[in-house]
This record gives sequence, structure tokens and C-alpha cells, in this order.
Amino acid sequence: MEIKISQAERMLNLLALLVSSRQPLTLKRIRHQLAGQYPAGDSAARASFERDKGELRKLGVPIEMVTLGGDEAGEGAYIVERRSFELGDLGLTDEELDALQMAVATVRLGATFGEEALWKLGGERALDVPATSVHLPLDDDNAAALASGVLERRLLTFRYNGEGRVVQPYGLLARNGSWYLIGFDQLRGDKRVFRVDRVEGAIVASESAAFELPENFDPSRAVPTEQEMLAEGNGEADVATVRVDGVLASRVAGELGEAAIIRTLDDGSMEFAVPCRNVSAFRTWVLAMVDRAEVLEPESVRTHLIEWLTDLERAG
Amino acid sequence: MAARKKRGPRGAGDRVAKLLVIIPWLVKRKRVKLEDVAREFDMSVDDLVEDIMLASMCGVPPYSPDSLIDIFIDEDMVVAEVPSILDRPVRLNTAELFAIVTMGTAAMAVSGQQGPLASALNKLQPLMPTDAASIAVEVATVPYLDELRHAVERGTQVAIDYFAPSSGARTSRTITPLRVFDRLGHWYVSADDDRSGEVREFRVDRIEAMSDTGRVAAPREDVGAKEWFSDAPDRVTLRVASDARWLVEPYPFIDRAVRDDGSLEVTLGVSSPQWLGRLLVRGGKSIEVIAGDVAHGLRNDTARRILARYTK
Repeated sequence: MEIKISQAERMLNLLALLVSSRQPLTLKRIRHQLAGQYPAGDSAARASFERDKGELRKLGVPIEMVTLGGDEAGEGAYIVERRSFELGDLGLTDEELDALQMAVATVRLGATFGEEALWKLGGERALDVPATSVHLPLDDDNAAALASGVLERRLLTFRYNGEGRVVQPYGLLARNGSWYLIGFDQLRGDKRVFRVDRVEGAIVASESAAFELPENFDPSRAVPTEQEMLAEGNGEADVATVRVDGVLASRVAGELGEAAIIRTLDDGSMEFAVPCRNVSAFRTWVLAMVDRAEVLEPESVRTHLIEWLTDLERAG
Repeated sequence: MAARKKRGPRGAGDRVAKLLVIIPWLVKRKRVKLEDVAREFDMSVDDLVEDIMLASMCGVPPYSPDSLIDIFIDEDMVVAEVPSILDRPVRLNTAELFAIVTMGTAAMAVSGQQGPLASALNKLQPLMPTDAASIAVEVATVPYLDELRHAVERGTQVAIDYFAPSSGARTSRTITPLRVFDRLGHWYVSADDDRSGEVREFRVDRIEAMSDTGRVAAPREDVGAKEWFSDAPDRVTLRVASDARWLVEPYPFIDRAVRDDGSLEVTLGVSSPQWLGRLLVRGGKSIEVIAGDVAHGLRNDTARRILARYTK
């Protein structure tokens, strides 16, 4: 007899059965055990079972199927292995769990996976807002795809700068509050860096692992720093001399390092040697100091700046 | 906390997923107030009661009392005292592992301390599907971060010397730090400011000197809410070509949209004309002003001011 039961209840019963069974169960046996919970007709029962199984797998429940021999040769049978379903005892102390709780409260990832992880580890959310917060924004769907791409070596497909990409994701870097994906762009045959917040639409991970990570890959070194970017370009000159007023000089020295200081003048201003092959990055860097910095040489770079400013001064 | 309460009927998959997390969590704690469980898992008490009832009817054949999930509601408590079916926590999926390891790594970088967080992360390491070294989290630290954090925790006032690069001005002020947060690579402190009598955001790397006044401020209620520059007096709307987007993206925006050609149309709060003039000169013709009287003539004036230095 068929009994009225919600899909959620039937899914839980199916899961409980598959986890506690010592051997794989065929659909026939499952139906027998869950008497009346599946529709009476074979094809309707199969359809409901497939739906439950699909939903459970979507939740990450590792339902395995084996093909039986003997009397039931050729029939599919299902089981959930405890060790691939349950979290083993990690031996986390209360102190360690508190530290993770604090981390989850402090770091805003945007995605909610941190809290889910904390609950599974036996912890709970912090009630107090911590004094400090760190923002590493990522949305749920993209976080899941990126994590499985990088950690499970799956290909990622997405749109970027108006074009489709298929990427072997080598790594992820969070720098200056933005996420960067570093990977091999298969369509272009080249290694590329993508800013995750510029990806257009969804990132989709392939079904299975699809590539090997290059040896000694280091995400931090794969993305150039701001200073490295100043040096990477087609400009004629390597280095420019920039005089910076006293009010800003010590901050610039801190940014560029002592080695970049050419001299300190009596009025407190300083002259720096600054990489400038990347002309537009260099110009933007200098102009951030408005009229408290001046390019002294080479002449070509100084002229470029004067022309840029003259153009803007005259523009409507 | 982000609102995650969904309207409308809850799907079977969502309910089962939540129960697989809640049941072991309850078994570990044995008795918890209904409303505390509901708050922790961000759901209504009604939905929670419905799910607990559902779970208590599930189990394995023959579904006799001792083969059901042993969980029930006793007045205002949820009780799960006897270990039973599905009482072990389920494994973390890859996204959850990624999230918790990333958060732990970032938090460790901020505090500069190893301690229990480091040992917790070590214990999680074996669960990772592959080496987590392909994920790097850089969180810059700046001087005074610890001092500010302690001031927030104790509610004390600090005296600072603060430098504003857009005007070149240095000011001394007494602030009561309320929160410390980072945005796109810069640390800020949101604080009660004695000079303006308002809550202001200060960039921590522009604090040039700091000392503890020893005074404790009266406690405030509404701390968590305000964390970002929401009250700038003027607004400007800009069209930013894709090559200059990086200049604008660090700033908090009131409204923004990406066009088909990759350009950005963005409305920003303008905290000072000097700040906007600087942005417009740096962006050059890649930034076009669409609206905002505050921007009128600013680019020309700022360019003229800089040029004066080159022609004197």
C-alpha cells in the first residue's frame, strides 16, 4: 500500500537506510525496506527514486552504485560508505573551535560556506560583532566553482572581457581585497590572470578533474605587484627621477623602499628613481600626488606628462 | 549577518541538507532552546519545529521507536540526548573547506598570531582534496592596527595625528574607535571624531602618530551598522572606460552598472573636491563626467595646478 509521505522524509529514510546497510541494495530491496514510501508502479517508483538520489547527490551525499553478480547479475545496487559520508573525528579542541569561530566572524567572504563548515565542525556562529573585519568578497555560486576548479583540478568555463574562456585554474590569490584567478587559458594557449569580480555571469566547473598543476606554482608570484607593473611595458625609458615634496616623501620612501631614494633635499623633499616602462601606470602613480610631485627626467617622460596635463587643462 | 531566510515553500533538498547539519550539532549539545537553534541556523521557529518533527519520524526499518532519529521537542527545548541514526557530522564539501581555510588564513594574517587557529588549520589540512598551496591570501597589515583593535574592544579614546593626502593637511584629533575594517587593500577605522562631532572613517595607514588617552568613552548601541562612507555631501556620476576601471573600483559606490563595451557607469559619494579632481586627472579622457555639479571645471583646474609646477 502506498503511504503519503513528503519527499524530504523519504529522502532522509533512504539516506538512513543506505548509510546503515552493510551491503549495496537494489531498488527492489530499497522499495521493500521503505514499504509504501515509493509509488506502487515500477516506472513511477524508479522516477521518484532517481529524483531522491539526484537530490541527495546534489547535497554531496556519496551514493555509490555497484553492479551485482550472482542471482541478481547485472542489477544496480546502492550504498553510502560511512567513511566517505561522515566527518571523522578531527580532535579539534574547544580553543581551536573558538579560534575558527572568530575567523569566520572576522572574515567576510560573501559566501556562506564558512558558517556551514563551522556547524559541521561542531561550532557555532559568534554572537558579538568582532572589532575587526576583513573583506574578501565572493558570491556563493562562484566560490563553489572556483574552489572545486582549483582544489579538484576541474576546468572552469566563464565569460571575461566579452569573450568565452576555458581555463585550467592553477590557483587563486586574494590581494588588496580582490580575488584573482590564475590559470591556463586553453582557447588562447597562454597563462592568464583574471580578476574574479570582473567575470561576467556564472563560472562553471567541469564534471571531473582535467589537468595537472605546474610544478612549484605560487599564486602570489603569478600576479605582478603594483611596483612590478610599473616596470612592465613598452616605454622608452627604464627609470624616471621624481621629486616628491616633504609632506609625502617619507610615505613614498616607505612604498618604494630605501633603495629608490636618490637624495634628500634641504627642504625635506626627496628624489626617487621609479620604474616607468609602463607609461600609463607610471603616470597614474605620479598624478596620485597631484602637485606635490614632479617628474624631473628623462625629458621624454616629463614631456609626456606635460602634454597629458595640457590636454586636460584645455578640454571642455 | 546576511539575511538568508527565503520566502516561499522550502525545497526537500534544502530541508534535508539543513537537518544533516542540525542533527549532529544538537546531538553534541543534547538540549538547546528552540529559539537559540532557530537563531543559530537563521530560520523561523515554525520551520525549525516542522523540520524537527519530520526528522523524528525518520529512521530505518522497521521504524519502531528505537530505530528512529531520537530527537524531540520538550516545551521550549530541542532534545537530542541519545546518539542515533545520522548523528555524525557529514564531511565538509570542497567549497566549505575552501571557505574555512581561507577565512582562517586571513584571520591569522591579521592577528599576526599562530596559536589555536594555526593548529586548527593543521587539523583541517588532511581533508583538503589537494594541496591548498594553490590558494594564497594576502592581508596587508599596517602600524597601529593592534592598538586600534584594542581601543575598540576596551572602548578607549586615542589621540591621533592624521594626514589627508588630497589636501596635504595634518590634523590632531581625539577619536573613539568603533570598528576596524579593510576594503580593497586599505585598512580603515570607523570612529567618533571629536573635531567634527560625527562618526568618520579614517585610513589607518594615514595615521602618523597615536597615543592612548586613557579615557573610556560612554558605550554606544548602534555600532555594527555603519561601516562605510554613506554620508558624503556630494555625488558624481562617471562613465569609466574599461582601462581605467581599476582607478574607480576601490571606492564605495552608490550605484554602478557595467556596459556592454566593458565601461562602467558609476555614481560615487564625493568626500572632497580635491579627491575628485585627483581622480579625474589620473583617469584623463578615460573618465567622463555624466552628472554632478561638484565636478564642474575640476579636472581643468587640477591639471592647471599641476602644470604650474612644471612651468615655474
